[in-house]
Amino acid sequence: MIKTNRNATVSGGVNMLEAVRKGKTGILVVGNHAAIVQSILDFDHLCAKEEPSVVAILGGARKAQKFFFGKSEILVPCFSDIGAIPSALGKKVFWMLNLQSGRRAFDSTAAFFGAFPHALGGHLFAENIPERHATELIRQFGSKKLIAGPSGVGLVVPGHLKLGAIGGTDVAQIEASKLATEGSVAVISTSGGMTNELIRALASAGKRVSFAISIGGDRFPVTSLTDVLLLAQSDPGTKAVVYFGELGGVDEYEIAELIRAKKLTKPVLAYIAGIIDEAFDEHMQFGHAKALVASPNESARAKRDALRKAGAIAPETFPEFLAQMKELPSKEFRDRVRSMDQLQERRSSILSTREVVDQGEIPVFVKNKKLVSQKRTFASAAFEALLDRKLRSPVTAALAEAIFQLLIDHGGEVSGAVNTMISARAGKDLVSSLSTGLLTIGPRFGGAVNGAAIQWLEGVAEKQRAATFVEMRTKGGKLLAGIGHRKYRVGIPDPRVAAIAAFATLLKRHPHLDFARQVEEITTRKGGNLILNVDGVIAALALDILVECEKFSHEDLRELADAEFFNALFVIPRTVGFIAHFMEQKTSDEGLFRLPEELLFVRKNKKR
Amino acid sequence: MARVKISEYRAKKILLGDTYKGVSIRSDSKAKLPKSGKWVAKVDQGIKKRFKQGLVAVGVSSAQAAKKMSEWKKKGFSQFLLEPLVPHKASEEQYFSLERVREGIRILHAGEGGIDIEAHPEKVKTYIVTNDEDILKVSKATKIPADLLKHLMDSFNKDLFAFLEINPLVVRGEQVFLLDAACLVDSAGEFFTGAWGEQDIVHTKTAHEAEARVEELQRTTPASLKLSVVNKNGSLFFLLSGGGGSIVIADEAQLEGAGKRIGNYGEYSGGPSREETYLYAKEIIALMLKSNAKNKALVIAGGVANFTDVQKTFAGIIDALSEFAPKLRAQKIKVFVRRGGPNEKAGLELMRGFLEREQLFGSVQGSDAIITSAVEDAIKFVGVRAPLKRSRIAIERI
Repeated sequence: MIKTNRNATVSGGVNMLEAVRKGKTGILVVGNHAAIVQSILDFDHLCAKEEPSVVAILGGARKAQKFFFGKSEILVPCFSDIGAIPSALGKKVFWMLNLQSGRRAFDSTAAFFGAFPHALGGHLFAENIPERHATELIRQFGSKKLIAGPSGVGLVVPGHLKLGAIGGTDVAQIEASKLATEGSVAVISTSGGMTNELIRALASAGKRVSFAISIGGDRFPVTSLTDVLLLAQSDPGTKAVVYFGELGGVDEYEIAELIRAKKLTKPVLAYIAGIIDEAFDEHMQFGHAKALVASPNESARAKRDALRKAGAIAPETFPEFLAQMKELPSKEFRDRVRSMDQLQERRSSILSTREVVDQGEIPVFVKNKKLVSQKRTFASAAFEALLDRKLRSPVTAALAEAIFQLLIDHGGEVSGAVNTMISARAGKDLVSSLSTGLLTIGPRFGGAVNGAAIQWLEGVAEKQRAATFVEMRTKGGKLLAGIGHRKYRVGIPDPRVAAIAAFATLLKRHPHLDFARQVEEITTRKGGNLILNVDGVIAALALDILVECEKFSHEDLRELADAEFFNALFVIPRTVGFIAHFMEQKTSDEGLFRLPEELLFVRKNKKR
Repeated sequence: MARVKISEYRAKKILLGDTYKGVSIRSDSKAKLPKSGKWVAKVDQGIKKRFKQGLVAVGVSSAQAAKKMSEWKKKGFSQFLLEPLVPHKASEEQYFSLERVREGIRILHAGEGGIDIEAHPEKVKTYIVTNDEDILKVSKATKIPADLLKHLMDSFNKDLFAFLEINPLVVRGEQVFLLDAACLVDSAGEFFTGAWGEQDIVHTKTAHEAEARVEELQRTTPASLKLSVVNKNGSLFFLLSGGGGSIVIADEAQLEGAGKRIGNYGEYSGGPSREETYLYAKEIIALMLKSNAKNKALVIAGGVANFTDVQKTFAGIIDALSEFAPKLRAQKIKVFVRRGGPNEKAGLELMRGFLEREQLFGSVQGSDAIITSAVEDAIKFVGVRAPLKRSRIAIERI
């Protein structure tokens, strides 16, 4: 009986390999194995792709990992949670490369197809995935997805997709096996090592591969041998099939049955390893889980004979098998030539950054003895440098300007200014004095903009009621960022807050400000001075404007907040203020500062 | 990974819980024997056809059982089971087994009492179960209580069983007796259940000490390291890599008529470290040195690796070879190599340089030679006079 998962090899009526050849090649790597990921990027480069097929890596605490793409380096984004992958990247994901251990592979595979239902399939690399998990994967995905494994080395569609270690992890191997060239012979094997051996042998025999898959040596491969053979049959690129099997199991009878039923009409060249078992007194367990003869029809000889009878070419020895490869039908091909020298001599950088400003584009300030009026302000240039993109909207530029102007200074009494002045009076230089001021910025002074931004982001994203939000966040006497002022209160509004809040009238929607206002409504009931302060309103409007005017996604904003962008909005203008206080001290030079004794309370030492 | 046998005692304890009254007796521990009653004593080491081999004693007293067990101990067995005798008629005996298959769980059942299943396959009915409804249908057809079936299936799933055979099974209305049971668990599932563990896995054969050491090593690495000693006095010793490639190479020896001269079989794969490869290689080299065959060769061969680093693993093998180099030279052993993969060129150069320096050089070839080239060279070196094989076709090296 042939068990056919009717749709396992077809996606939207298109043979999955054809879908791959048409560009559905984006891979999400789950878990990590740097050498395998690098080999995929090398494959992409040899195939002359403009973009690497690895879209992102899931796992680990890092945000990005560096790899070579050709001879230059790129950063591949990393995520710790599948839900955190932005939809713009998610749309490109069609394949899962699961490199996790057998303990985790099942859960992460189910999560992957839950998050990316449009994905075509994947590969599970782990060798110790329990049978129960494998059969559950078959039940859930066996009829819909093309999945290589558990175990084995994956799937390769030459010129388009390398999903796994298949074909080698060394760029020289990929080149020697000519995997950048679309060919016409399919390679199918349970054994990962032999898949690669056959790929190389075909290249040496002057043939090229249409696709190669290592089904995996486990008892229950998710996509069955039969399905893979039907994939080869329906693939317009494949003209012949080369198969490597081993003693143990009865898979080869499926091939024989397919040939007899004329469901597989392309020529099949097969080698069934395991004649050696005949030399031993007892049947031996060979390397793969399935490689043990449990009944007479599972012997290498019996299976080979059955294949021959059905019409496959099944030579007795491996050298004969290799010789037969030369006789397989194939189409014309031309190999892509790529220089390998540069690839083999490349060395990793040890630090990465980006081009903050365009060094090649210096604006003209004076022309023909006349000032050239500048469209860009310093504030908008600073925003562009920090956000790593051109501002789309004049609203954003105006907000930048407003924030920078309003936050330059808030009087000499505040901690940072006091520290700057004291250092200046002690005879310290500009940078030292400024540093003491800047070093004061933190949880209690000036550092609330970022905290407030994270708060509003989470509040809006989690769709929480303001009352619940306030209750949860203030447990144990904790303070909310961006709420509360020493001087201003209900009835005495902070004029700076009003100035920033006015930006909301330029927007269609301002959910972060709305949420902040709802929170304020709750907190002011507890105390009249628990109003939305300037830090809180800046954070809220900056979020709303970045979303509406600059099209930032929630993930983009979260990333900005994690990188403390919103704190920079305070640090930049206040640096100017601190410098002004420093200069004032130097100009008036009142000598070393000393705290008058009456202004310092000194606790008496207990007499012993 | 692989299906492994656990003791009948553990299997029944998992299935029956506290109602199970069997006593497990291991030769290395002093368990107290029950004082009175009639018992069934048996060897509990996953042995097939125990009854025919005289490894079961039915209806014995505690003292008789003790005597029987000390007899079995002398035969080399170490793990026994005592169960209360359940008197029954042969006609009550049924056959029942569960096995995990691709489509779900397969049940084999024969209601007719006391038959030899292998001799009468036509009496066995097959059912595939995927859900509770199926269980009810099977219960109706087999007259095995649905509750029991459901309980067995749940345990089977929860505790990652792969195969469970109860033969004979005796059903009296709602009362059920599992007389003899054999159970295979999925070794990859150990992490997911606390019901069984390493100590419950039974070994039918005492492993060769080298095999035992490699098994021990295997437990400490995600790479794959396997060793079977086939012929202590063999001529061809194998240091092979890759589950499939290693069989191809061993096949070639068999086809060339040298199958009986193979000393060991095994493989390393999955990217072992230099140190792991060293420890593994050492075992095989030591086996080879102990063999009393006249001409001996070491075959270091494998396919074109996907990700196992040739240079790194070869460095480990060279570490082991260096340790034994004078002895290897004294026995006139030569080493034959064929391997491809990451860092192939550097790895092969390293190996070639070492073997030439130490006068152990047989041949060294890479991925441009065929996978069987090293074993062919080694067979020529040790000399096989009567090839079993068909007239050799000339094959040009590709």
